[in-house]
Amino acid sequence: MSATKPTTRKLSELLDPQFMARLDSLDLLSRKVLQGKLQGERRSKRRGRSVEFADHRPYVVGDDLRFVDWNVYGRLEQLFLKLFLEEQDLTVHVLVDASASMGVGEPAKGLFAKRLTAALGYISLVNSNRLTISLFGDGVRTQLANLRGRNYLPQMAEMLLTTDCDGLSDFEKACRDATAARLGSGITIVISDFLFKQGYESALRRLIGAHYDLYVIQVLSPQEIAPELAGDLKLLDIEDGDVAEITVSSALIKYYKRNLAAYCDELRNFCTNRGAVYVQANSADSIESLVLNYLRRIQLLR
Amino acid sequence: MEFLTPLIGLYASAVAVPLLLLLYFLKLRRHEVPVSSTLLWKRAVHDLQVNAPFQKLRRNLLLVLQLLALAAILASLAGPVLALRRGPGRRYVLLIDRSASMNATDVVPTRLDAAKKQAKAFIESMRSGSTLSWRDQSDHAMVIAFDQRAGVVCNFTSDKRQLAARIDAIEPGDGASRLGEAVTVARAFAQSSGAEDAGRAAEKAAQLVLFSDGRIGDLDGIVIDANEILFHAIGKSADNVGITAMSARRSYERPEEVEVFASLANFGSQPVTRDVQLAVGGNVHAVRSVTIPACRPAADHMPARAGEVILNFSLSHSDAGVLEVRQLGSDALSCDDAAWGILDPPRRSSVLLVTRGNPVLESALRACPIARLDPCSPAGFDALDPAVFAARQDYDVVVLDNHVPAHLPQGRYLVFGAPPSGLDVNAPGELENQVLVDWRAQHPVLQHVNMTNLFAARSHRLELPRDAEVLAEFSESPALALLRRHGSTYLLVSFDVLQSNWPFEPGFVLFCYNALSFLSAQVSSERQRGLAVGEPITIEDVPADAVLTVRGPDGIQAELKPDPGGTVRFPGTHRVGVYAVATPDQAPRFYAVNLLDPQESWIEPREKIELADAVVAAEKEGVQRANMPLWPLLALVALVLVCVEWLAYNLKVRI
Repeated sequence: MSATKPTTRKLSELLDPQFMARLDSLDLLSRKVLQGKLQGERRSKRRGRSVEFADHRPYVVGDDLRFVDWNVYGRLEQLFLKLFLEEQDLTVHVLVDASASMGVGEPAKGLFAKRLTAALGYISLVNSNRLTISLFGDGVRTQLANLRGRNYLPQMAEMLLTTDCDGLSDFEKACRDATAARLGSGITIVISDFLFKQGYESALRRLIGAHYDLYVIQVLSPQEIAPELAGDLKLLDIEDGDVAEITVSSALIKYYKRNLAAYCDELRNFCTNRGAVYVQANSADSIESLVLNYLRRIQLLR
Repeated sequence: MEFLTPLIGLYASAVAVPLLLLLYFLKLRRHEVPVSSTLLWKRAVHDLQVNAPFQKLRRNLLLVLQLLALAAILASLAGPVLALRRGPGRRYVLLIDRSASMNATDVVPTRLDAAKKQAKAFIESMRSGSTLSWRDQSDHAMVIAFDQRAGVVCNFTSDKRQLAARIDAIEPGDGASRLGEAVTVARAFAQSSGAEDAGRAAEKAAQLVLFSDGRIGDLDGIVIDANEILFHAIGKSADNVGITAMSARRSYERPEEVEVFASLANFGSQPVTRDVQLAVGGNVHAVRSVTIPACRPAADHMPARAGEVILNFSLSHSDAGVLEVRQLGSDALSCDDAAWGILDPPRRSSVLLVTRGNPVLESALRACPIARLDPCSPAGFDALDPAVFAARQDYDVVVLDNHVPAHLPQGRYLVFGAPPSGLDVNAPGELENQVLVDWRAQHPVLQHVNMTNLFAARSHRLELPRDAEVLAEFSESPALALLRRHGSTYLLVSFDVLQSNWPFEPGFVLFCYNALSFLSAQVSSERQRGLAVGEPITIEDVPADAVLTVRGPDGIQAELKPDPGGTVRFPGTHRVGVYAVATPDQAPRFYAVNLLDPQESWIEPREKIELADAVVAAEKEGVQRANMPLWPLLALVALVLVCVEWLAYNLKVRI
C-alpha cells in the first residue's frame, strides 16, 4: 500500500520497530469465548461454517443442503444437519483517556497511554482482530471503529498522534457513548488515570457484562505516586481549574500517599469483584516490559 | 497599669497593624502548581484537618503570633507603668541609718543591706521623666547616710542608676545614730534651689524617708512634722548580748596589777548564759561563764530595762598590751561582742626639782615611788630651751621651789611659793601667819592629808582666775589651787614650805605623793587611747617628715603625715577594734575603738519613733514597687513571640 510507508514512520514515533517486531508474535487473548461479527480465527459460540464440529440437528425446510450429514442419513434415513462452531474474529475495544489530566506528569501519562494503546492496537490489527480505539475526554472525542488488518496501522498511528490531551473528562458519558455504539462483545481495555471527581463506578459498571472482557489499566505519573512538593502551594486542577491550597508537610504527604493507596485499592477491588482485571502502571516504566511481561503474565496477551 | 504615652502607641499601632495584615496577605500568594487532579490532595488535606486538631487555628498561627508580638511592641511604645503615682514630680530625701545597730544580722544579710535594698526599691519606684513626654514629672531624690555624723551620699538627682550605685556604696559603720544632723543637712539641701530646680522650691517640701531600726539617740530633739517623714522600720529581733561598759586600770599600789571591769547587757527576752573571755595581746587569760537576766519589758510608766551583769577580772601584767573582753556567744550584732582596752606599762614618774636647795622637799619627794628625781638649779632650768624640753617629755612633773622661771615649757608643775608669771595669777602681796580654814579633803591631791595644823609664817596673796580650782584656803587667800593653762597643769602652793610647819606634818609626804600621782595621771589622760567610734586618733609632736601607718580592723589602712604643727589626726575610726599606729622607728601605738553604747546594742526595732512633737509610726509594709515601667518586659515578650513564630514557621515548612 502506498500510504503504509509514511505512516509506519509515524507509528515508529510511538513504538520502537524492534519492539514492534517482538509484538508480531503476540496475540490478544480473551478469557471468555465471545461472539464475533465476521468469520475469524477464533472459536465463537455461534454455530456456523467452520471445520470444528459442534452438534447435529434435525433438518427443517429451508436449511442449506450443503450441511446435511449424509452419512447419518445413510444410517438412519433421517436428515440431520451438521452444525459447526463458527470461528470468529475478536473484538478489541481500547478506551483511552485523552483528557487534560493525562497530559500531566513527567513522563506524561498521555503519551504512555497512547504508546500502550499503539502496542495493543498493533497486536490486534496484526492478528486480524476487530479493533476499535476510542479517545475520550468529555465523552468519546475520536473513535476509530472496526479496524481490521495491518492496513489500518497508519490510520491508528495518525489518530493517536494527532489527538492532544485536553479538555474535561466525563468518564460516565464516555462509557455511555462507547456502549451505545454496540461494538459487540469482546475485550474492553480502559486506559486512564481514573482520577475522576464524579467517580468511576457507574461508568465501569456499564462496561462490565457477560459479553465484555474488561481490562482496567490505571496509569499514574511518578509525581502522583510520590509527590516532591514543598512550601505553601496552590494546586491547580488542570481540567476544571479547581484550586487546593496546601502547605506541604510530612503529615500531609503521608495522608496523600495513604489516600492514593486506598483509592487504587478501591479500584482494584471494584474490578476484581466484578471479574475485571486491574493493572496499575507507572508512566515512568517502560512499555516494553509492561507489554511483554506483565500483560502476558495476566494472560491478556499470548 | 497605666500608660505614659498612650498617643504614641495608638499612632504606631494605627500604622503597624494594617501593615502587618497587608504583609500577611501579600505573603499568602502561593506558588501555583498544576496537577492532574486535586481530588486526592483535597482528601489528604481533609484528612489532615480531621486528624490534626486546631488545624484551623494553626493555619493562622503565624499571623496570631505576629500580631501578638506587634501588640507587645506597640504596648511597650505606649509606655505602660504599673501602679502609677500621679501628680507633679516630688523630691525625696532618703535617710539611711548606718549606725552600729544596723549591722545586726537578724535580717539577712544585715539590716543595712535590707535598708539599702528597700531604698533602692524606693528609687526604682520613682518616676523618671520620659523623653517622649512633654511634661517633666520626674521625681528627684537625695541620699544621706548617717550614724553620729551625716554624710551626703548623693545630691538631688533623678538618675536612678547613679542613686542606686551610691546607695550600694554606703559602708556600714559602728557609730551611734544621731538623726539631727542628717535632718539639718537634708533641709539645707532641700531648700536651696539650684538652677535646675528653679521654681521647685516653692512646691511641696521634700519628703524625708527614713530607713532605720529606730534606735536613734536624739529623736526627742528633732522637730519634724509627722507628714514630712516616712519611717521604714528595719529589723525583727531584739536578741543581742553586748558589752556596754569596760575599763581597765592598774592599781596605784601595785602597778603590775590590772583590774578589768566589764558590763554585759542582755537585750533579749530570755535569760542567756554566755562565756566571757579576757585576752591579753591575743592570749586568752580567763574565760568566765555568766548568766545575764532577761530584758525587763516596759511596764506602765517604767521604761524597758536590759538585764545587766558586771564582771570583774584582775590579772597581773606588767607590760604594755591590748586587753580584749569578748562574749563568746553568737548573736545578731557582733560589733558589741568585744571591747578592747589599751594597757600602758606601769609608769613611774620622773621629776625635775628646780630649787636653790631644799632638803626637806627633796627628801619628801624621794620618799615617793618615782623613777628618778633630778635636782636642778633655777639658772639651769632657765637655760633650757623650752621647745626642746616640751618635746622631749623627759619629766612628768616639774617641781618649782620658790622660783619664778623666765619661761614655762609645756608640762605639769608643782609650784611652791611665788606663782609663775603668765598664768593670769597675780600675787599682789604677802600675808603673814596664815592658818588653813578650809580644804577639799575629797580631792585626789588632798586624800588622807590632814591639814588641820598647817601654819604658814609667810604666804603669797593669790588672785586667781575664775577657772582655777581652789583646793585649800587661808582666811584671806587661797593656799592650794589647781590651774590649767596652755596645755599645762599647775598645782600652786602659795607659800614656801620652809616658811611653814608643813614639813613636820606627816601629811606633807602624803601630799607630795598625791600631787605627783595626780600630775602624772594628767600625762596618761593626755594620751587618751580608748576612743569611741568616730572619735579621731590624735597624735601630737610628730616629726615633720615622719609617715605614720594606721592599721585598723576590717582592713582599714592609711598612711598619715603630720600637719605643720606636728599633729597627726586619723578620723577614720568608723569600726570598732584595735587600731595600731606605726611610726618608722618606734613600737606601734595601739588605740582601742569601742562601741560601748547601750542605745546601739539594744537592737530591738521600734514600731514608732517619738520626735519632739510628733510620733511617726513605721510604715506597715516595706517599700512597694511603684511606677514600674513595663516596656522591657513587653519587649522581651515580643522577642519571645518572634522566636516562637520563627520556630512555628520552620516546623510547618519542614517536611
